[in-house]
Amino acid sequence: MNYQILPYRFERLNENIFLSNEVGEYLFLNNENFNRFIEHKLQPEEKAFKDLKSKQILADNNIDDVIEMLATKYRTKKHFLTEFTALHMVVATLRCNSNCSYCQVSKKDLCDVNFDMTKKTAKKVVEKIFESPSNNIKIEFQGGEPLLNFEIIKFIIEKVEWTNLFRKKNLEFVICTNLTSIDEKMLKWLKGHKVYISTSIDGPKELHNLNRPLHDIDNSYDLVTEKIKLCRTYLGNDSVSALMTTTSQTLNYFKEIIDKYIELGFNSVFLRSLNPYGFAKKDKHILSYPMVDFIENYKKALDYIIDLNIKGKFFSEGYASIILTRILTPFSTGFVDLQSPAGIAISGVIYDYDGDVYVSDEGRMLASVGDKKFKIGNVEINSYQEIFNGDYLHELIENSIAESLPDCATCAFLSYCGADPVRNYSEQGDIIGNRTISEICKKNKSIIQYILSLLQRNEKDINKVFWSWIARKSFEI
Amino acid sequence: MKQLIGIAHNIEKVIIGKITTKNEMFSNKNDLIFVTRNNKIPNGFVAVITSNNSVDEKSKCFVENVENISELYDNDIVTIYPDGRINVVFEIKSKHNAVFVTERCNSNCIMCPQPPIKKEENEDNFELNLKYISLIDKNTVSIGITGGEPTLLGTKLFEILSAIYKRIPNATIHLLSNGIKFENYEYASKFAQSINQDIVIDVPLYSDIDTIHNSIVRTNTFYKTIKGIYNLAKFNIKIGIRVVVHKMNYDRLPELSEYIYSNFPFVFHVAFMQMEPMGFAKDNIKDLWIDPVDYNNELEKALLNLYYRDLHISVYNTQLCVLPEKLRHFAVQSISDWKNIYIDECKDCCLVSKCPGFFASSKDIHSRKIKAINDLQAKIA
Repeated sequence: MNYQILPYRFERLNENIFLSNEVGEYLFLNNENFNRFIEHKLQPEEKAFKDLKSKQILADNNIDDVIEMLATKYRTKKHFLTEFTALHMVVATLRCNSNCSYCQVSKKDLCDVNFDMTKKTAKKVVEKIFESPSNNIKIEFQGGEPLLNFEIIKFIIEKVEWTNLFRKKNLEFVICTNLTSIDEKMLKWLKGHKVYISTSIDGPKELHNLNRPLHDIDNSYDLVTEKIKLCRTYLGNDSVSALMTTTSQTLNYFKEIIDKYIELGFNSVFLRSLNPYGFAKKDKHILSYPMVDFIENYKKALDYIIDLNIKGKFFSEGYASIILTRILTPFSTGFVDLQSPAGIAISGVIYDYDGDVYVSDEGRMLASVGDKKFKIGNVEINSYQEIFNGDYLHELIENSIAESLPDCATCAFLSYCGADPVRNYSEQGDIIGNRTISEICKKNKSIIQYILSLLQRNEKDINKVFWSWIARKSFEI
Repeated sequence: MKQLIGIAHNIEKVIIGKITTKNEMFSNKNDLIFVTRNNKIPNGFVAVITSNNSVDEKSKCFVENVENISELYDNDIVTIYPDGRINVVFEIKSKHNAVFVTERCNSNCIMCPQPPIKKEENEDNFELNLKYISLIDKNTVSIGITGGEPTLLGTKLFEILSAIYKRIPNATIHLLSNGIKFENYEYASKFAQSINQDIVIDVPLYSDIDTIHNSIVRTNTFYKTIKGIYNLAKFNIKIGIRVVVHKMNYDRLPELSEYIYSNFPFVFHVAFMQMEPMGFAKDNIKDLWIDPVDYNNELEKALLNLYYRDLHISVYNTQLCVLPEKLRHFAVQSISDWKNIYIDECKDCCLVSKCPGFFASSKDIHSRKIKAINDLQAKIA
């Protein structure tokens, strides 16, 4: 034996073998070299030998030193664990003036303030947030339409800022809003508190209005686009981002949606497939589509966006950017859906209007249709320890480590992917899930494979575009 | 370094002092060396340098018959040897001043321009360096510490660092080290504790493959250097990586750049450089020489890899006409002034004032593609 083979996973990809190790370093080998590699026949002078050694999939000496380096990289990749909960979502109210076709949470009467978060609850939420050991705290207001309870948003932001005078954490505030009810008075206040806006644009006017009508008017598009301009005037050009949800009506219009995003002055889009939760699940027969259709359209959209970039327009796709960061950099990402152990509660958590705490937004959505499986406590009843260090959360997380889940454990794309127990439960009634029939596995695997085959082409132009997405800026050379 | 020669009188051991061309009546002359064209040797200075060769005052301490004294400026620092050599150790007009702490080294690089010696030539070197540091101009913004391998001084290196801090606390220190000694966590820790100012440690890493690196440094130290880098990083010390490019390592520059990013994404700076064809490099030139234009392809890939990964990058010792136009703005004028030359072809080049130029020793060993750039549109970037 002239060398030792270190732990790696592999899969056939476009006539070649794709190999990756525990820290996500990868390379492609042709069949012949792969066979010679596993038969210990590669020679030290060969390029394949050196490449495998450089990626630490093979070692012929100093194995202790190599393991030490891998350990360092592994810690970097799993750094999100040391951070603990950074994303804190707060449901300001369940009331909403929108009537979206795919809405994932129950719509409540526009006037029924019983679905608003009270100051008493909000105070407790802020206390819990500050018990998180994370140095970076991102507070995301959700709903319903959170701006319908603007008073509680103001109350929470002021309380958090005041508390932070002594705690000195890095704060970030985001309001996830349909923007229709924002006004200059609110914006004047928000301007002084460094708040970002995340809104929804489902595409050109007809598509947007089809998916996202208001209760009282059908043309929400004109209102939202006008309000986006207003936000930019007050909060700055980069203060507003948008995302879209794909329904069967919008599935074939990604190109038009992308063009619209560019026209509206955005430099990225997040092409989201429909989540099988809440209302969307009930109306599944009208809104949904086979995952393969989404994947095929997503690939075409990605090609279209890459081409726009090559022609000189800096514009990124959000999901691809996250996957690329996971493939190409040694760092971890903060995206809770693609983590192992799953990001449930330990990366992101949601506080419902009534103080109930769920491991994720999707966990709350399930509760809105009657299943409180992913509730881990209530801010008014339970202590921080009970909520975030309870036996139940431990059990959920122990069952959400991709490295030990069936099929995930041997998947060559594991280090770019993650575990999603809530999704598994919602799809299959079981948090571990069966990958062979999993929709989310199909989606992630296909998109990761597609991105890898683009990387495999090793084309200067494409590589440059990908890195510009990771760096979030365009490059001159 | 810049060297002048004259005939020394009454100099029994090495003298160090700061150059002055002014003889002021009431000033403290203890550490000053007076430069004159006169044959009168004034009193009070530690030594006098004169271009004159008819000095009568044979009992005083001076060097006569020195040519080119106009190359000495006020606040330069020189060492004078009993044999009449005058070394300019600090040039007030240069950005590349350094403290040369030892000639010994625990590497034995195949392209070393200043081959190491086994035993220090001058036993008083350390004391002289402390004296030198105390004389450095207080406005100095950047000072190198170099060798040989500076960490071979062991804990005495910390005294050098503290002397620098005492004299020029706001300057940035550039320490050139092969990192091997920092493999010892204790040493790295003590080193980190002795730092009170901005410092960058530049560490050479020649390949992503240990055996290639080791065959270049001719010691089995690849993983020691890597451990050293990790130990320094644990103390948040800024680390630069230096890659001298030649025939033995040019082909894996792209892989090396990826290796640097995936294993040391925290590095502050990465520099790729042409070798200086002196010393061992000259002896081994047959095994080492590759025309730099012939590795432009690999260099470009490596540079772009790191540029896209948001690391600081530079190209040292490389002539602008050799580099592809879009990479020219990475080139840095990095060669110490006293050995930095331009050749005849450069006379007609419109970029010469921005070009790193050549080592004096590269005069006859350089790329075949050296060509004056006359295009008025030519840009650095």
